[in-house]
Amino acid sequence: MSEMHHKKPESQEDAPLFGLLAEYSTPGELILASRKVRDAGYTRWDTFTPFPVHGIDNAMGIKMTRLPWLVLGAALTGLSLAVWLQWWTNAVDYPWIISGKPFWSVPANVPIMFELTVLFAGITAMVGMLVMNGLPQPAHPLDLSRRFARATDDKFFLLVEARDPRFDEQSTRSLLEKSHPAALEDVPEDRTTSAQIPTGLIYGLIVLTAVAVVPFALFAKARVTKSRNTRIHAIADMDSQPKFKAQRENLVFADGRSMREPVAGTVAQGQLRDDDALYLGKVNGAWVRTFPSQVTPSAELMDRGEQRFGIYCTPCHGQSGEGNGMVHLRASKLGQGWVPPSNIHQQYIREQPVGQLFNTITHGIRSMPAYGPQIPVEDRWAIILYVRALQKSRAANLGELTAEQRQNLK
Amino acid sequence: MADSNSRNKKSKSQHPAKGSAHGTSAWGDVIRNSSDTHRLFVFAGGIGGVALLLSVALGMGDFKRFQYSYLVAFMWTLSISLGGLWWVTLQHLVNAKWSIVVRRVGELIAANIGLMAILSLPIVVPAILGNSELYLWVDSHRMLEDHALHHKSAYLNVTFFAIRVVVYFGFWFLLSQHFLKSSLKQDGESADTQTVRLRRLAGPAMMGVALTLTFAAVDFLMSLNPMWFSTIFGVYYLAGCVLAIHASLALTLLWLQKRGALVKTVSQEHFHDIGKMMFAFTIFWAYIAFSQFMLIWYANIPEETHWYLVRAENGWLKVTWFQLIGHFMLPFAFLLSRHMKRNRTALALAALWVLFVHYVDMYWLVMPTAFVEGPELHILDLTCWVALTGIFVAAVAYRARGVNLVAVGDPRLETSLAFENV
Repeated sequence: MSEMHHKKPESQEDAPLFGLLAEYSTPGELILASRKVRDAGYTRWDTFTPFPVHGIDNAMGIKMTRLPWLVLGAALTGLSLAVWLQWWTNAVDYPWIISGKPFWSVPANVPIMFELTVLFAGITAMVGMLVMNGLPQPAHPLDLSRRFARATDDKFFLLVEARDPRFDEQSTRSLLEKSHPAALEDVPEDRTTSAQIPTGLIYGLIVLTAVAVVPFALFAKARVTKSRNTRIHAIADMDSQPKFKAQRENLVFADGRSMREPVAGTVAQGQLRDDDALYLGKVNGAWVRTFPSQVTPSAELMDRGEQRFGIYCTPCHGQSGEGNGMVHLRASKLGQGWVPPSNIHQQYIREQPVGQLFNTITHGIRSMPAYGPQIPVEDRWAIILYVRALQKSRAANLGELTAEQRQNLK
Repeated sequence: MADSNSRNKKSKSQHPAKGSAHGTSAWGDVIRNSSDTHRLFVFAGGIGGVALLLSVALGMGDFKRFQYSYLVAFMWTLSISLGGLWWVTLQHLVNAKWSIVVRRVGELIAANIGLMAILSLPIVVPAILGNSELYLWVDSHRMLEDHALHHKSAYLNVTFFAIRVVVYFGFWFLLSQHFLKSSLKQDGESADTQTVRLRRLAGPAMMGVALTLTFAAVDFLMSLNPMWFSTIFGVYYLAGCVLAIHASLALTLLWLQKRGALVKTVSQEHFHDIGKMMFAFTIFWAYIAFSQFMLIWYANIPEETHWYLVRAENGWLKVTWFQLIGHFMLPFAFLLSRHMKRNRTALALAALWVLFVHYVDMYWLVMPTAFVEGPELHILDLTCWVALTGIFVAAVAYRARGVNLVAVGDPRLETSLAFENV
């Protein structure tokens, strides 16, 4: 503390008495002494211990603190603020559907409600405790007592201040002596420590406050100004990660591409697709007219084809393939230029070889995109099987039916 | 038990804290009460026995309903015992001093786990014999046919279930007996040998309790709906167990004090601590219950949400709301103030309420499996609860006859007697 002195106004000699300090070796003795001082009716006195001593509140006659009410109020404030904050941001200021939940979904808000309740209550408990105890106290006459340093170590102290209305040097001294303290000491007023706050500390706080405002000022500015510059990257290496994305430039390679071709003359594992009938739908440049040998039409394959058709094809082609899916209906209504999806029951499509249908699914046609990257080869053939079944359902010849089926028609 | 009693009498002369023949301790308190505990044993045992016979008679007519009602009451009483075992282990683990004067009562309650093993037979035996009315997974054909379930049949099958039940109850029985016997043995000693030994045991024991309790909750409760799963479920049941034991401790001690025992031993400070634990675990229960709910609600995956959907529709929605208000908000607000925890009447009311809502919680976990439309109260719910509670209380009272109700040999006893909260 002596380093912080700015001036030494007066000498410590003949400073008036601040209080009487009694030292005890055990918490038990301190509690007994406290009861005596309490019963004698003193009000301006305190005890100092290295650790919390159970029962000292009662021995000192300290009333229940009002702090819990403050904490409760703060907790309810935090709770209400959390509810309001989330309601306003989610349902009013920026309504946004998340996972199909309502704009204001209370279950999702509960963690924040809990956190803010605890945060407000915790900070209030700590700050309230400090303020109600008159802390922080930068200087105190007891700081000058060498003996008192052991209050943070292994000794227990009781201080009766001279400004207590019942304080009388003689009678107070004899009261404390009756409690058999290990030592009894006069504590003089502090005449050496300046009461002024050091100027360095004041300027330091001003600078710190100014600096702390800067980020908020930047946020405020960013909300009202339009700029062509890129925004501030608070966490730069998260916004622009050191990695190469697909379809982007990469100067490391001579061709400048970040996506690499396989090394010439090599095939990746499982990528050898040398069966043209299965993978391309054609043999020697001509569309195959029958299913490749690896694909065996069966009831399971038909079910699979129906399911995949339902997932990938019905949005445009419709449930029965007439080209009246939801996407088509919507696009036609918008009338912004739309090549309608084909009706798969048209003559020319019915006559297309299966290989050509496979090619259409794989690479797309007109405005239909390529589905090769999305649908595995097996599933593409399954879809074709189902498409053939759909087509047949509209255009079967009487001659293709069995006698029994013909019987059922009647 | 007789062994430790004779040791008590022998050591009386050498050790002043051990008390006189009338069960009076060195600090002038009644620490034994054979006559009242005996009366309680006869009374509770009689009522429990009659209710059990009644339940069996009613259960003959509707065995499925009997099994469901019985399971609710069984899991409720089991949670008191298991909570006791967890609590005693915890006191040793953390070297708790405040609880020394209360610990013996906890040990006596925890030692009921052997009885719970016998009382589990109406649940376990029908499952082993192939009755799948309660546990669907007992029907192995059904499990294998269901695509979502056949992977689980490696765990959910009758043989493995039987093995697990034996392991759970075996472990709990041995541990609870060991805690009680060592503690009784210490009554006649003046050394801290048992204290040190039990503290060393408490660490591994706690891991064992945590694992067995988790898996038991999964087996007895979660597997009612074998499709559903929640990894936090064991902790959820534990939260209920901890609430149940503290409520039971409070009520037992208040009853003992009304009968003139432990009046100078267990003070307002100890009741305050029990109240604090009840308050803390009210919040803990809500925290866990909500954690389970929120993740399932947010992810919205059908195999998880259906469990909550049943409880959010028809008659069960009211019970679910009651869980939020009755199991969390009311006891939270009621126990928030320290004055309530230090007031015996208020604490007794809170303890009774906590035990009631804990029963509702067990009901809410079990019953929607079979009664999708809403709670259908049945006379068997009442008779099964009276039967198990009566037998449970009788067994604790029987065990409490003729033993010290305080661990007089514990070296930390003096600290505990002088304990103050502030």
